[in-house]
Amino acid sequence: MYGSALIETKKGSKSLTEGEDPILLAEFEDRITRGEKIEPMDWMPTQYRKQLIRMIEQHAHSEIIGALPEGTWITRAPGFRRKLALMAKVQDEVGHAQLLYSAAETLGKTREDMVNDLINGKSKYSNVFNYPAKTWADTAIIAWLIDAGAIINQVTNAKGSYGPYCRALDRICSEESFHLKYGHDNVVYLATGTPKQREMVQEALNRWWTPIMHFFGPPDKISEHTEVLMKWKVKMASNDDMRQKFLDEYVPKIWDLGLTIPDKKLKKNNKSGKWEYTEPDWEEFKRVINGDGPCNKERLQVRRWAEEHGAWVRRALMKDEQKYTIPLA
Amino acid sequence: MTFNKAQTDAIKELLFKMADDQLIIGHRNSEWTGLGPMLEEDIAFSSIAQDKIGQSLALFNILHELGEAMPDAAAFTRNADKFKCCQLVEYPIGEYDFSLMRNFLFNQAEYVRFEAMADSSFEPLAKIAKKFKGEIKYHTMHANLWIKQLGKANTESHSRMQIAFDDTFNLALGIFEPGANEDLLIKSKVYPGEKALEEKWIETIMPVLDNAMIKAPARFEWKPVYGGRKGVHTEHLQPMIEEMGAVFRLDPGAEW
Amino acid sequence: MAKSEDPRVSRMELPKNDDGKEVLESQENWETYEVFHQKKRGEQHVHVGIVHAANPEMALILAKETFGRRRATANIWVAKSANVYATDYADADMFETTPEKTYREASDYYCMDRIRKYQKEHGIEDRKDLKRKQKESAKEKKD
Repeated sequence: MYGSALIETKKGSKSLTEGEDPILLAEFEDRITRGEKIEPMDWMPTQYRKQLIRMIEQHAHSEIIGALPEGTWITRAPGFRRKLALMAKVQDEVGHAQLLYSAAETLGKTREDMVNDLINGKSKYSNVFNYPAKTWADTAIIAWLIDAGAIINQVTNAKGSYGPYCRALDRICSEESFHLKYGHDNVVYLATGTPKQREMVQEALNRWWTPIMHFFGPPDKISEHTEVLMKWKVKMASNDDMRQKFLDEYVPKIWDLGLTIPDKKLKKNNKSGKWEYTEPDWEEFKRVINGDGPCNKERLQVRRWAEEHGAWVRRALMKDEQKYTIPLA
Repeated sequence: MTFNKAQTDAIKELLFKMADDQLIIGHRNSEWTGLGPMLEEDIAFSSIAQDKIGQSLALFNILHELGEAMPDAAAFTRNADKFKCCQLVEYPIGEYDFSLMRNFLFNQAEYVRFEAMADSSFEPLAKIAKKFKGEIKYHTMHANLWIKQLGKANTESHSRMQIAFDDTFNLALGIFEPGANEDLLIKSKVYPGEKALEEKWIETIMPVLDNAMIKAPARFEWKPVYGGRKGVHTEHLQPMIEEMGAVFRLDPGAEW
Repeated sequence: MAKSEDPRVSRMELPKNDDGKEVLESQENWETYEVFHQKKRGEQHVHVGIVHAANPEMALILAKETFGRRRATANIWVAKSANVYATDYADADMFETTPEKTYREASDYYCMDRIRKYQKEHGIEDRKDLKRKQKESAKEKKD
């Protein structure tokens, strides 16, 4: 669901293009500028490969971890329609993880290595899933507003340079439209329902607003790295730009339902066209993404449980003559 | 064909047990979503669970047309003692071996049941039996694949599948617990009755088990676990029902 | 067992996950199969992605739901990634002059001008002109 917010480069590290053949690099960058895609077996700068693997892998991890907060309510979904829809939605998150791991695999990292890095904490995933889904209404808010954020991210990144990632994102975007509709429908039923339902969804929105504001990541620091990544169409838009897009599209829809947002400062400046808001606590963001959130430990423990309990199935069917091949596309 | 009250009551009894079976096993299988042994298998298993719940809904819709409550109310507000599912489907998901084997035995039974019902004199049942044939075929293909492959893969997987079979076979015989008013249904050609279905089921599963090198007990050693059809359930069902209805029952009259 | 928001998780015996151990062994996720999907009879099979599977039979069963669960499907093929051969993008220049070979395209053929010139020189009436004249005189008669 959420890629470029998590691209990190250490201070004072080498330039992203250091050591690369200038002719090959120029051809590579020309191709991207012309709007053509880079495919798996193309020559690519080492850092392009590295940053893409990290970005796509983190996106994949976000999907499989994202299946957990909503999965919390699968067994308690109220009524057939919601039960079926929530199962299908969470199944899609697993499906998206499958598509994204596959895209990252084309760059040469194995699925096993990616899963291991997730479980032992080496790889990150979208911070928003380190928070608990305390009520049924939480799943409605997540399905509507978090998926909305994800769609904005995905539609933007689908115009990137790496073929397999773009193709995966196109596929994901088409499935997300059902998620968005389902989420919105859910929130509407709660917001326009009984007082108890209304209270549940307002309370869930209050709790999720900070993680939602954190979703696109902190305001970008313009650096040489950011510029190269944008030239390479790995990073497609600034975090703040995407956040503005989200607010512009969804705050009015939230207010349409008479729900309130827990930020008194939130309003659109009609002169500048930009939304003004209380800057969210980026220290909290940092703390949570580095392991100190309410659910971090549990999320990874559950992933480890799943992988460990499935090991006998996988190992039983492994064959000596198996050969590792990088997928084609 | 029109049915009198006795026949209709017998049909409802049949539909309730089928609808409850599908709902409960679908619910149990849905617990694996996101937690399966392999992403692609997780996706497939979840589809199978959704299919079962969809089939359950279709059966509850027929029941509603026959005068019973709307599907949501029928499924989400009854207590365990009013459920007519077999005990097999109530058990917690256990390890993947248990769930795969339970699915195999149940799906094959379902296949045989729906195949017979395609010729039912009760038209709504014949209709959905034909409609769901393809789905159920996939469920049996999926089940057969895993039973055969894991049965023969290595010592550990074989032993797990054998134990899973030993744990589920007698419970699965409970699917075919004779119905109180079955004779009426057989006479009116609604369906051929549990005994006939059980025979067909045995014919279907034995070659697969054989292929998987799984040993089945001889007929005289069978110990079918009955009771579910009469509302006698294990201690697992009530907590499961409560969990399933937790949000639904939060606010009576609310629309979700 | 510890209480989680998720009742499924509350029923699990969660592992500690504090030993930094690598949970998956190398190649534990089997091999990859490229998947080709046919939407409707009569149409081409189109490459849609991969599945990890232990054998072709499993690959087909899994591909059905990975790629067929949200789209109309008539048929699916799978082939091991290792068995699919591809041209090298570095050799894409071998395709470069292909669009220039217009002699292989219908649109490259236009000879109306030649026909008209010959007709004019040899007094052959152009059929379209004739039809147009007939239409116009019929219209005049009406008015």
